[in-house]
Amino acid sequence: MRIAIDTGGTFTDCLREHAGRIDALKLPSTPGDPARAILAALRQLEAAPDCEIRHGTTVGTNTLLERSGARVALVTTAGFEDVIEIGRQARRDLYNWLAEPEPCLVARRMRLGVDERVAPGPGGRGRVRTPLRPAELRRLRSRLRALHPESIAVSLLFSFAYPAHERAIAAALAGLGVPLSLSHQVLPEFREYERATATVINAYLAPRMRHYLRNLEAAVSRGWPRARLQVMQSSGGILSAAAAAREPVRTLLSGPAGGVLGAWRVARQAGLRQVLCFDMGGTSTDVALIAAPGPRPAVESVIAGLPVAVPMLEIHTVGAGGGSIGWRDRGGAWQAGPRSAGADPGPIAYGRGGRELTVTDAHLLLGHLPGRLAAGLELDRERVAAAFARAARADKIVPEALAEALLRLAEARMEKALRVVSLERGHDPRGFALLAFGGAGPLHACALARALGMRRVLVPRLCGLLSAYGMLAADWVRDESRTVMLAPDPALIEPHLRELERAARAMLHREGPAKTNAGLALPSVDLRYRGQGYELNLDWGPDFVARFHRAHRRRYGYADPRRAVEVAGVRLRLIAAAPPLPAPPRSRPSRAAPPQPLERRRVFLQGRWRLTPVYERETLAPGQRLPGPALVFEYSATTLIEPGWQARVNPRGDLLLER
Amino acid sequence: MPAALELALFHHAFHSIAEEMGAVLRRTAFSPNIKERRDYSCAVFDAAGEAIAMGDHMPVHLGSMPRSVAAALRAGPMRPGDMVLLNDPYAGGTHLPDLTLVAPVFLARGAGREHGRRPDFYVAARAHHADIGGAAPGSMALAREIQAEGLRIPPVWLLRQGRIMPEILALLLANVRTPQEREGDLSAQIGACRTGLARLQEMAARHGRATLPARARALLDYSERLMRAELARLPRGTFRAEDALDDDGFGHGPVRLRVAVQFDPRRRRAAVDFAGSAAQVAGGINAVFAITWSAVFYVFRCLLGGDAPATTGLMRPITVRAPEGSVVNARWPAAVAAGNVETSQRIVDTLLRALAQAAPDRVPAASSGTMNNLAIGGLDPRTGEPFAYYETIAGGMGARPNADGLGGVHTHMTNSLNTPAEALEYAYPLRLRQYRLRRGSGGAGRFRGGDGLVREVELLAPAQATVLADRRRTAPYGLSGGRPGRPGRTLLLPPRGGVETMPGKFSRHLPAGARLRIESPGGGGWGRPRH
Repeated sequence: MRIAIDTGGTFTDCLREHAGRIDALKLPSTPGDPARAILAALRQLEAAPDCEIRHGTTVGTNTLLERSGARVALVTTAGFEDVIEIGRQARRDLYNWLAEPEPCLVARRMRLGVDERVAPGPGGRGRVRTPLRPAELRRLRSRLRALHPESIAVSLLFSFAYPAHERAIAAALAGLGVPLSLSHQVLPEFREYERATATVINAYLAPRMRHYLRNLEAAVSRGWPRARLQVMQSSGGILSAAAAAREPVRTLLSGPAGGVLGAWRVARQAGLRQVLCFDMGGTSTDVALIAAPGPRPAVESVIAGLPVAVPMLEIHTVGAGGGSIGWRDRGGAWQAGPRSAGADPGPIAYGRGGRELTVTDAHLLLGHLPGRLAAGLELDRERVAAAFARAARADKIVPEALAEALLRLAEARMEKALRVVSLERGHDPRGFALLAFGGAGPLHACALARALGMRRVLVPRLCGLLSAYGMLAADWVRDESRTVMLAPDPALIEPHLRELERAARAMLHREGPAKTNAGLALPSVDLRYRGQGYELNLDWGPDFVARFHRAHRRRYGYADPRRAVEVAGVRLRLIAAAPPLPAPPRSRPSRAAPPQPLERRRVFLQGRWRLTPVYERETLAPGQRLPGPALVFEYSATTLIEPGWQARVNPRGDLLLER
Repeated sequence: MPAALELALFHHAFHSIAEEMGAVLRRTAFSPNIKERRDYSCAVFDAAGEAIAMGDHMPVHLGSMPRSVAAALRAGPMRPGDMVLLNDPYAGGTHLPDLTLVAPVFLARGAGREHGRRPDFYVAARAHHADIGGAAPGSMALAREIQAEGLRIPPVWLLRQGRIMPEILALLLANVRTPQEREGDLSAQIGACRTGLARLQEMAARHGRATLPARARALLDYSERLMRAELARLPRGTFRAEDALDDDGFGHGPVRLRVAVQFDPRRRRAAVDFAGSAAQVAGGINAVFAITWSAVFYVFRCLLGGDAPATTGLMRPITVRAPEGSVVNARWPAAVAAGNVETSQRIVDTLLRALAQAAPDRVPAASSGTMNNLAIGGLDPRTGEPFAYYETIAGGMGARPNADGLGGVHTHMTNSLNTPAEALEYAYPLRLRQYRLRRGSGGAGRFRGGDGLVREVELLAPAQATVLADRRRTAPYGLSGGRPGRPGRTLLLPPRGGVETMPGKFSRHLPAGARLRIESPGGGGWGRPRH
């Protein structure tokens, strides 16, 4: 039995795969202690004692976004203590004199230099210029003791080529009893600022993530003694909870990565080759552009203003969701978000003490939502109507106009996010289908598609739980890498690849999935012309140099076979494939009878009330067509089909909307 | 689609072409200068040579790129597959290491078969090459005339109909210290231009050939409207200021800069006049007019704020005058290596001082005001090959009316990155000894100026080192009662011990084991300090 649990800001989405079928469950999140909702889900899903749990967590992301992580001490090579603050000495806003300064994650007095130095040496290994003496280690330990750090990051120059100094520091500090993050383990690649930043973020998140996962694991093992807890990584693979606790920097996009994987699976099943994913939840919206051959991990991601050079899928997030709060700014104009009512107290409609108008409340007022949501939440329309009436009176408008304005404001933020991943990167959205998911995504899909000139929207089955679906399907993946700077001589490179593979296999053996298969190793090399600063990644194997010249010509328009080629780094991805998921049931489109609406209700759309049919998604059959305006209710989401659009049910039960 | 949305779509589409060209250049270049420090710019131009999109790269290139395209246009008709190379500051360039490549874009299929057709667009890629010959490695020599600064390239056809002109390339490579690296960087620039060209053609295929020029015009008009709306908000009047460069490296100084900025909010115009600035000098701190124009462009672009498109339409309501033969509008054969990097910053300092009188709540105090150019070149004993290293070192940002200035950050006309120690040491026989904030160098004030940096480089082989830096004697000013930042200094630590304080601008042959320690200036403070 496999169970995926994706903790979001508002809902905890769960899927259970068992005996050839997939069952869904949605619960309200418990942000104070996310484990409560998870345990409740396991009980309700009747989890087997030896089930495999795959978890998407927001603990890491929230800690970084809220800047609420640990008090970190940073140990560097003496003379380089400020690199973490200087960064690459460039400013983020080229034309803004008044940009607010971003405080550094490590305060100045918490940065300690040690007297040691490694320089580049032969064979991709470093050479010691200044040894690290025992007296220096003792001094470091006593200085650190006095600072009372909650977590320690160590990032020495050229540590990826000569890790012994970082290891010696780790040994000397082991007695302090705080988590250690070592740069040669977190990101063994050159460029000291980027490596130090990944290491510091890791240290910043480590205590909280460790605490969270340990407690969760303990609580799970009390009820399900042989269950295995695994965590979704930003790269789109899963790892053991123990590994996630050690390397929380790899979980920053845990939930969204599940969404991207799930989206690509359903896109392919529907025969789409390029989609803009749009995942709107209660608190935030994640967007991504995916085209064949599939989601790619990037290593130049920026999160919360910091470079995060570990592999992660390309995903862009904005603070706009169902819980986004409508408010009046100092100039008296209405705004929507980025502040969110979250799950607790949640929108006014939840009747849990929420007092501020939210996007969800606006939908309820306008008739877009059923009276009861997935998690058993009764929605209180009267309370919402009263709140809108009060707020609208001040503006001398009708409540419906205010509610519609809030929706348009929230959509403007989401539209901008979709532009960032498409137009601003040179892709015309008109050639893409919008893949809308998350509980609230399909409510806004038509409006956003229209704004971007897109003609097709796909609302997949299970659209309220697509991230969990991606997690359920994900493989176990371990990425290892190392900077080597070597000539393209297999005899020099193979020892490094073997070391990476040994490390990855040891991890698979120690912490891999229960019924471990051998694991597929995908070695690759980062090649460049000697003297270049960026590399092309090529599969390791015969002719890799010839393939590099060809790839360089294809990608950049020229190649120079006479020029010396250099192997800047080696990488290895070890994949233990997950057992395949049961295929979604597929029914032949019949000359189906027209769908029967559940009811017709008054719905406010584009400025007026319209009598609109409401369908139950469960009752729709492939081949059926639904002209807009129409609403489709389902267990975990609602789809709004605007006038001018028509939905068709495809053989897998997805809704394909076209105009 | 609504017109307002269409405008945004094309704004972003043109902009992302420029950004993608930059990405190709960065990813394939060989000079650490380009690949690590990102000292380059890419842009897209309409048929008249007006910039319709520039990547967010180097502000100093903003205004000078259109002049490169204009110079290439003047040199003769361009045919499909042609690319024109230039660096001559007196014909579309800025200083000699900045090599600009301009390529015409023909949108029609089978274009060029018919003679006399004009290109529909142009793309250009400019990159700061680590060496272009001249008296000192790094081509940032202390020279008295431009001929000593390096190879001067008027607009020449590097490619004709897709083929590299071997004689031109051979002539160029014979005059530089690191020919292999130069050839690689030029290839990267060619790749960048080809990328821009292909993207524009794809866009034309999607939207129709006739659509693109119309959208480009609409974008220029829109930019102009934005700037005029901003000019309507500024107070009427003439605001004057002056500042100075320390010296020209040959003992002439201080070298004064003067500016008068006149706002006419009713007619939504501005006039900027540099009358009264010093006559051009012997040393290479002279700026050609393109640089002065760029600095004005940059300052007004900042005043505008927000997500404005970087097009030359923004400059339509603004006139810029600078006396010919002055340090802000140099004439041949003045040396100009530092005009681009040092004088450009002082022009901004002077303009901001004037603007602070008109918009005191929006203008920061003076930032470090120098790029601390460091060039080191010689033979790499590991390979037996010559090497040329060039770097600029950031300083403190001036305090703002709302916040402290940032420490150790590039400001105003540059935004190049540092070379990481780990990239530096793989590439050159050099070792970085320390790289840290220069504590306490920011000026005091209600808001403090940012701190400068300390960067110390050790030579592992004998080499020629050149430093072009300023704000060693004059200090970055404070505003509204804030104190000035601390001036910079350069120290030489010879292998046998001792310390020598060096002048702001010098070039010297140094033995292996010598260390150069550059301490960059802090930014000025803003508002009276509270005691």
